[in-house]
Amino acid sequence: MSKDGRDKDRKNEIWAIGGGKGGTGKSFITSCMGTYLASKNKRVVLIDADLGGANLHTFLGVSKPKNSLTDFFERKLSLNDIIVNCGMSDLGLVSGTLKSLEAENIKYAQKVKLFRHIKSLDTDYVLIDLGAGSHGNTMDTFLLADKMIVVIVPELTAIENMYHFVKNVFFRKLKMALDKNGFKSIFHDAWKNKESHGIRNLKELTDYLMNAADGIKDVLDKEMSGFSVHVVLNQVRSSKEAPIGLSVKSVCMKFLGLNARYTGHIIYDDSVAKCINKRQPFMITYPFSNVAKEVKKLVENLVEGKQVEIGKEEQLDGKA
Amino acid sequence: MEKHNRYFKILELDNEASLADVRRAYQHLKTLYSGDSIATAASAYDFSEDGRKSVLGEIDEAYTRLLEFFENKGKDPGRKDKPKVVFHDDFKEYLASIASFSGFALKQIRVKLGIDLKDMSYFTKIRRQYFEDIEIERFSSFPSEVYLRGYILEYAKYLSIDPVKVADDYIKKYKAWKAARERKA
Repeated sequence: MSKDGRDKDRKNEIWAIGGGKGGTGKSFITSCMGTYLASKNKRVVLIDADLGGANLHTFLGVSKPKNSLTDFFERKLSLNDIIVNCGMSDLGLVSGTLKSLEAENIKYAQKVKLFRHIKSLDTDYVLIDLGAGSHGNTMDTFLLADKMIVVIVPELTAIENMYHFVKNVFFRKLKMALDKNGFKSIFHDAWKNKESHGIRNLKELTDYLMNAADGIKDVLDKEMSGFSVHVVLNQVRSSKEAPIGLSVKSVCMKFLGLNARYTGHIIYDDSVAKCINKRQPFMITYPFSNVAKEVKKLVENLVEGKQVEIGKEEQLDGKA
Repeated sequence: MEKHNRYFKILELDNEASLADVRRAYQHLKTLYSGDSIATAASAYDFSEDGRKSVLGEIDEAYTRLLEFFENKGKDPGRKDKPKVVFHDDFKEYLASIASFSGFALKQIRVKLGIDLKDMSYFTKIRRQYFEDIEIERFSSFPSEVYLRGYILEYAKYLSIDPVKVADDYIKKYKAWKAARERKA
């Protein structure tokens, strides 16, 4: 493992797009970011991991591919064999499945194999579009990523579900790391008897664990500093809503005790829904729109490790 | 220096942040944790009244310490590119020396404080153009005295100078201009 936690022989960089709530635009943003990266001569593979509700192909304007992850799991095809081209030379898609194979049904060994295949894909970027909810498989796939991206909209419920999702993801990561390092019983006790330890939430749990045993602080510090969530705020309708991204990031850091970065926003635009209904890929149909410009900015921020700072948000064009 | 890194971190800034960045960050965070936002409401499970108070306390402390930090940095003789910093006593004297607040005086104060119009416009939700017009005394931009008074109050509040005194002084100038214009017509 190298310093940033990636295997040395790995060539690709994995981005996972999740966020807990459905309908916030995860698939739309995944398809747009993928298209943009491919237009910049990067080789990209998109994976539709929204098992049960997979329709990433629709956003890319292609019909449902013949082979999907179902064939990977059931017919033992390799991941490479089920990648289909999406109209651009360097943009591939691994289709999910609309039926039968729910996240619950994937066995542990199959999951490990899928993750191994994803990591060894010969490409520059792998973008994984996750489904809603906080299922174990969804969380593990999210944790597989080098960049964990959450998409929210300026609505209370979307933000609530996102907090819930990232807390669960971090809890899972923490549990795995502590189990591995011999602190299983301490973690188990802390959580089981949380009332008597005065632990009401995740931050208080990590605060408590810090002093719970010799050497545990090093493990916690490593896990916490290696965990960072990139927040994307979608469907912004006014300038007033843009700072919500910064506020959400602040709450993640100050109240959930997690590293977070605000990567940027995408404005609300009616033509997005129109494009989807006509099965037109948005970035190719409206390459000069504000939405497309914002997607470009998002991708640049992610690639360059930058984020939006307080008071330096981009002005919303044409919005009051 | 390390102590200050902690304060920058509380205001969610990197260590290279400027005084203007510090002011902006402080204003954003103070508003976020004093008021009611969907970003905080959504975290009700993790967000207690005690927690809110302690975060606000930390933010206030970080801001105060960083203002001091920038002041001292300005006095450091080793630095050539002195940032535009407020020296409290000098600044108070300077304010007291202003007999009447004109557009030009307001602009000077703002520049001394290192505040830019873009930020002011962002936080007050008032168009930047109006602030520019206040500074150059382009009175014809304002539809009426009531609007102008509202804008000038926000301008003065943002600079933390006496809003009523500033507005009274400024409106006098506006009235004189209006009377002159009516005489011409």
